[in-house]
Amino acid sequence: MGALDGFRVVELGRGLCAATAAMRLGDAGADVVKVEPIGGDESRGWSASVSPGADDAPAFLAANRNKRAVAVDLGRPEGLAVVRRLVASADVLIEELGPGEAERLGLAGDRRDLVHCAITAFGDDGPWAMHPAGELVLQAAAEQPLSLGRPGEPPVRIGAEIAAVNTAVFAAQGVTAALFHRLRTGEGQRVAVSRLGTLLHLRGILWSAQSDPDDWGGFHLDSYTRPVDDGYRTADGRTYFALRRASSEDYDNLMITLGLLDHLADPRFANFGRDAAPMGRRANETREVWEEGFTRFRTDELVSLLLDAGGDAVPFLDHLELAEHPQIKALGLLVDVVRSDGSVGRDVAPAWRLSETPASIRRGAPFVGEHTDEVLSEAGYDPGGIDALRRAGIIG
Amino acid sequence: MAAILDGIRVFDLTLAVVGPWATKLLAQLGADVVKVGAPDGELLNFVPPYMGARQSSVFLDTNLNKRLVALDLHDEADLEAAWRLAETADVFVENMRPGAVDRLGFSYEAVSARNPRIVYASACAYGRVGPMATQAGVDPLVQAFSGFASLNGPEGTAGEMNRYLVNIDITTGSMLVEAVLQALIARERTGRGQKIELEMLGASLALQGTRVAESLASGTAARPLGSASAVTAPHEAFRCADDVWLCIGVEFDEQWRALCEGLGAEGTALAGDPRFATNPLRVANRVELAERLSAVLRTEPSVAWEVLLRRRGVPCGRIRRFDELRHHEQAKANGWFHELDTPWGHLCVEGPPWRFSRTPTEPIRLGGANGTHNAEVLAELGLADHPAAAFEADAGRPLRWKTRTEA
Repeated sequence: MGALDGFRVVELGRGLCAATAAMRLGDAGADVVKVEPIGGDESRGWSASVSPGADDAPAFLAANRNKRAVAVDLGRPEGLAVVRRLVASADVLIEELGPGEAERLGLAGDRRDLVHCAITAFGDDGPWAMHPAGELVLQAAAEQPLSLGRPGEPPVRIGAEIAAVNTAVFAAQGVTAALFHRLRTGEGQRVAVSRLGTLLHLRGILWSAQSDPDDWGGFHLDSYTRPVDDGYRTADGRTYFALRRASSEDYDNLMITLGLLDHLADPRFANFGRDAAPMGRRANETREVWEEGFTRFRTDELVSLLLDAGGDAVPFLDHLELAEHPQIKALGLLVDVVRSDGSVGRDVAPAWRLSETPASIRRGAPFVGEHTDEVLSEAGYDPGGIDALRRAGIIG
Repeated sequence: MAAILDGIRVFDLTLAVVGPWATKLLAQLGADVVKVGAPDGELLNFVPPYMGARQSSVFLDTNLNKRLVALDLHDEADLEAAWRLAETADVFVENMRPGAVDRLGFSYEAVSARNPRIVYASACAYGRVGPMATQAGVDPLVQAFSGFASLNGPEGTAGEMNRYLVNIDITTGSMLVEAVLQALIARERTGRGQKIELEMLGASLALQGTRVAESLASGTAARPLGSASAVTAPHEAFRCADDVWLCIGVEFDEQWRALCEGLGAEGTALAGDPRFATNPLRVANRVELAERLSAVLRTEPSVAWEVLLRRRGVPCGRIRRFDELRHHEQAKANGWFHELDTPWGHLCVEGPPWRFSRTPTEPIRLGGANGTHNAEVLAELGLADHPAAAFEADAGRPLRWKTRTEA
């Protein structure tokens, strides 16, 4: 059984952030009900290749397993009443309706034992609090593009949805912490996280690094101005490496094998090559030298050479290459997830392994309104009442 | 009201960033985190920049809110003190290379035998099984291997590093905290502790879970798109009349309509164009859409667009920098930065990622140098006369990083 078995979560989100937070609680065993508009959340169409109403986007599927779905028109009073009733029987409400909106709608704020997780874009307070935001806007507000690309050239974002997913992790943490407190005291509370607050938290090491340094140096501070780092070329691909533990003899042998004997006395390669290796202070000046040696070998040969020399090394992979890598298979990090219509998608497994209360995948992402009747009937609606709501267009 | 983890003690045998960030979050949630470090320091003590000539700002930041104890686990007396601490702990966290903590004697089996209620959390780079099980790894290697870097870069390139080299570290640490909290809930219900394992590789995949799913579903590896989103449009940066880039982040249809309304005649034309009617169509026709939008956005400065479009509900904004964010009203209102005076200089650090209405997080305070709390912690353990109680933190001795042959 999962650690959060028996807790019920109602998710009132849009896009990927609240969805991912609720999914993480579901992975840990919680019973998650996703509330969507009658036409479904727009993130079902977050892809170039889906036609509305037919298929759902892979991004949606990857953020919505382990849930049941209810479709309700929240804009009508009868719909709001349905959602209030679902929240009344839940332990947790996760929402991103905007600062103060859940309280205004009477969904939160009056129950002492409810854990209410409010996810905002820019925080609860301040002049930007009501501004809309998307992933790139948040990455830009947190200066993330300054760690990619080249100064003066078009900005580059992190390709992963870090504002959404890292915030979802903090939201799931906050909820789990609040549930722990509730188990001990019976008290719920409101826990707030914001996507910009998350991105600023993640860059904390840069804030401390530049507040009062003795010198402007090291791989944290020069991340603003260092050239693009796209790995090291080999005969058939790219690698990335470190030389943190190589001894003097290991290092000499490595340089001889790589055909870089001339550089054994090169001052840029001081400290057994550590200064010249990635993250070292001479890394930017020595890339071409390393590549001169590395391109004499295939990536797999080179990785072995570097490991034998007491270094760390990996191939630089894309997702399809990664999916075939034996390490991914050994860990079972990619799993097939089956939806209720029998269709199968490949998904990233929960990252945690808990020996007594393991995470589990119990169902694939739900279709729009797939569980409306089931969930409403659990909440005490009789079949006649459910029919009437559906005929009135309140639920779907 | 006390913080949530008030009364929970964490025995922290972590180093670098992954483990220490996790235990910092636990400390800010109220746990009494005692970090045990080698007297010579750990990797992070050697990561620049330094303050006051000796202290790594990275170490100070990563170890906020903890008590720091220097013990030599190869010394019998110090080892016994560490065991006393382990016996009083609720949570044990380590992130050494697989096998290293076992060699020190603190395997799950050993710790749980003496402390059956322990929540024992272990993080490593690539996992404890499989061909890479014995390898150590750091953030950039995991970025490269896990495909995280393959998504970053200008269109037409094959991927580049996020040069801020701790995003995967902190993500892994955060996920470890989620799991520790789950295990504390389970322990509250069943009385039993358990073992948790997590690796940076799995955390990095989970961080890019939606992008991995796109690659596997299409059979084509996702590639860098510069500033553009792969799944919604228009969602990228546009150069304005002042040569500053405005990032637009349309994710929902009403934001698309609002954008069109803000762009005059061309906006009206775009709104009526069937090729841009739905998000999937806009993503499929993204390049053409971006060209049309660029031509309009190039006519006014970025600040003007930011004000006018935001007012209409269009997600947009320029790239901000630390020096303007640090003193911005938005950051002050939400407690995103904290200013600390330390013996080594001034430090600005990040705020906690959550705000709890009933159980406020711990005020942010300096942990300090390795070994700052030896006397205090050893006295609490009834070991006031232990030789390590006299350890002088920050005594000015030169720190020296050990190579493999010495270790």
